[in-house]
Amino acid sequence: MATKTNIGGWLRGTTVRKGGSNSNPRSTAGTPVVQSTSTTIFGGGVKDPSGRVSEFSVHRLFTLGPAPCPICQKTLRKLAFTPQTFEDLQVEKEVAIRRRIAKEFNKRREDFPDLRSYNDYLEEVEDITFNLINGTEIERTEERIAELRRASAQLTSANAARELEYAASLQAAEEAEKLARQQRALQAQKEEEEEREERERERMKVIELLERSEMSEEQVKKEVERWRREREKKRLAEQRRQQQAAKTLRNRAAAQSQMLPDTPHVPLQDDYYAWQDKYTMLPTYIDPSHGAVMQDREGIMRAGGYRIEEAWERAIRSAVAGLDVMPIDDEEDQWNGTLGEGVTVEGAGNVVAASA
Amino acid sequence: MDAVEKANLERQKRWAKERKVGEGTYAVVYQGREVGTGRKVAIKKIKVGAMKDGLDMSAIREVKYLRELEHQNVISLLDVFSSKTNLNLVLEWLETDLEMIIKNHSLVFLPADIKSWIAMTLRGLEFCHRNFILHRDLKPNNLLIAADGQLKIADFGLARDFADPGYKMTCQVITRWYRPPELLFGCRYYSTAVDMWSVGCIFAELMLRTPYLPGESDMDQLKTIFRALGTPTEEEWPGHTKLPDYVPVGQFTKSSMRDLFTAATADCLNLLSKFFIYEPRKRISARDALHHPYFFALPNPTHPSKLPKISTQPSSRTLEEVDGNVDLDSPGPAVKAPAPVPNRLKRKLSSVSSNQDGRETYARRLDFSQ
Repeated sequence: MATKTNIGGWLRGTTVRKGGSNSNPRSTAGTPVVQSTSTTIFGGGVKDPSGRVSEFSVHRLFTLGPAPCPICQKTLRKLAFTPQTFEDLQVEKEVAIRRRIAKEFNKRREDFPDLRSYNDYLEEVEDITFNLINGTEIERTEERIAELRRASAQLTSANAARELEYAASLQAAEEAEKLARQQRALQAQKEEEEEREERERERMKVIELLERSEMSEEQVKKEVERWRREREKKRLAEQRRQQQAAKTLRNRAAAQSQMLPDTPHVPLQDDYYAWQDKYTMLPTYIDPSHGAVMQDREGIMRAGGYRIEEAWERAIRSAVAGLDVMPIDDEEDQWNGTLGEGVTVEGAGNVVAASA
Repeated sequence: MDAVEKANLERQKRWAKERKVGEGTYAVVYQGREVGTGRKVAIKKIKVGAMKDGLDMSAIREVKYLRELEHQNVISLLDVFSSKTNLNLVLEWLETDLEMIIKNHSLVFLPADIKSWIAMTLRGLEFCHRNFILHRDLKPNNLLIAADGQLKIADFGLARDFADPGYKMTCQVITRWYRPPELLFGCRYYSTAVDMWSVGCIFAELMLRTPYLPGESDMDQLKTIFRALGTPTEEEWPGHTKLPDYVPVGQFTKSSMRDLFTAATADCLNLLSKFFIYEPRKRISARDALHHPYFFALPNPTHPSKLPKISTQPSSRTLEEVDGNVDLDSPGPAVKAPAPVPNRLKRKLSSVSSNQDGRETYARRLDFSQ
C-alpha cells in the first residue's frame, strides 16, 4: 500500500485498488473502484471537519454531479473545489472571497466624478467583503451584491476586458524585454570575441614584421604602440558617442518632468458656437427631393460612407444660423423683439435643401 | 484708380516680401513681414498665368475655406491681395512640418508627444468637419508646426464642403499613401471618414517613423492596405464590391497590429484600429476619437511647447544631439549604419531584432559602470 505510507494512513479506505492488502476487509480483488458507501467516506475522504477534503474523495464523491457534503449536507460540486494554497483555511477562504469580490467590483477611480464617491465605493466593497468573510448577514449581503451587479453590469464587463488587455500587454512587454536581454548578452559576447581576435591578429602581424621586414625590434615595438593607441582612440570615441546619446535622452526626460507639467487631455479646446442649442436632429426626415439618394439602390453611397443625415444637419443649421440676424432695412425696429434669442427649431418634418 | 484698386494697394503695402523659400507647381512661397509689426508671415504668390482657364482651382479652394476657418489648429489666412496679375495669400509663418520632424532622426519621440500631435490634428480636423468641410489631403507634410509647438492643418487646396445629396465628388484626392480604400475603389459619394483614414496613417507613421502603407501605384496601394489589414469581407464592409472601380485584388489575412506596433499600449492600438475600419460609417469620427480613452490615459499629452522640434539656433540640447550623430548622419531609415541617437529609442520601442539593439544596450551597460 504505497499511498498508505505517503499520506499517513488516513487514505486507507480509498487505496483498495492496489489490491495488495488483505488487511482491508472491504477490498475485493479485481474490482479496482471502491463503491461510495458511507463508511468509506468517513474512513478516507474527510480528514477533519474544517472542510479539508482529499483530492481522491472529491473525485469519488462528486464525479456524478452535485452531491451533498457528507458532513454538513450542503450541496457541492466538483468544480467548486480548489487546491489549497495556505495552511490556514480562514486565509484560504478570505482570499477566495476577495478574488470573487474583485471580479465583481472592479470600478476604477476614472469611473467616478470625484475622490469622495470613489472612496465611498471602496468602503462599500470592503463592508461586503467583511460580511462574507465573517459570515454575518450573508443573505442580505448577497442581495446587495446582486443589486450592485445589476446596476453596473456593463461597466464591470468593460473594466474586466480592459484588465485582460492590460495583462496581455504586460506579458508582451515582458517578452520583449526578455528578447532584448538575450540580444544584449549575445552582443557583449560577440564584442569580446572580436576583441580577442583583434589581439590575436596583432600578434601575428608582429611576428610577421619581425620575420620579413627590415624593421628593427625597436621600430616594431613602436609600430605596435601606434596600433594600440589607435584602437584605444577608436574605442573611446565610440564610448563617448554612446554616452552622449544616453545623456541626450536623459536630459530630455529630465527636462520633460521639470518644465511645466503636461495637463490632462481636453477633447475640444475652442469655444466655437455652432448653434447646437437651437435644433435637435431627428433620426429621419421626409425629403422627397432626395428620395433616390435615400434609397440608394446601387448601395454605392452606403459603401462610400456618404451620410444624408449630414446634409440635413447642415441645412437645418444654416436655417437656424440666420434666425438671429436682423434684416438691414428701415423697418428694423419692427423686427426687434419678435425674433430674438431662444428660437428653437425642432427639426421640422420637411427640409428644403437650404445650402443647395 | 478705382476704389477696389485703391483698397488692394492699401493691403499690399501692409506686407513686405523678403526671400523666396519654396516653389510649387502653381505657387511660389516667400517669407515676408508685416510692415507695421514686423511679424513674420508666409506669402504665397499664385501664378495666375499657369492655367489656361484662369485661376487654379486649388487657389480658389484655399481662399474659400481658409477665409472662414479660424481655429488654433488650422493655419490662418491673414490677408489676400493681388499684384499685377498674381494673387497673393498672406498666411501665418510656421517653422516646420510634421514630415520634417518625422524624418529628422536626431529627434526622439516619446509616446506622449505622439499623443499630443494626434490630439491637435484631430482638434483641427474636428473643427473643419464641424463646419462641413472635408480636407482631403491630410499627410504629415500638410501638418505644419508653429514656433510654440502648436500643430496646424494647412493646404486646403483640395478641400471642399460636404456635397449635397446626389452630387458626385471626385475620388482623385488625398495623397496615395493616405488614401482610404473607398476612394481607391472610385467611390464618388463619401464623407468625413476619408480624412479619418488619413489621420490613422499619420498616427501609425508617427509611431513607426516611416510611412505605414506606402503603395507604389493605386493598385499596389490597395494591395498594401489589404496585406496590412486583411482583405475586407462583405460583412466587414457591406456593398464595397459594388463600388465603381471595384476589382478583387486577392485575399490577404489580417496580420496583428501588435506585431508591428510592439510598444503601443492597448488603448493606443484600439484607437488605431478604429481609424482603419473598412466600413466608412463605422470608422471613428474626429469628435469620438478625441474622447477615446487613449487620450485620457497616462502619460498626459506633451504640452505643445515641449514637443521635439527642429531648432535652428544652436541650443545645448541640439548640439549634443548633433555631436552624437555627426559622423553617422544617415540618409534614411534603410541604411544600416550604427544607430544614431534617435534610432536608439525607436529601435527600443519597436524592438526590431538587429544588432543595433545590442549596441544600444551595450552603451547603457558602459554607462552604468562609470
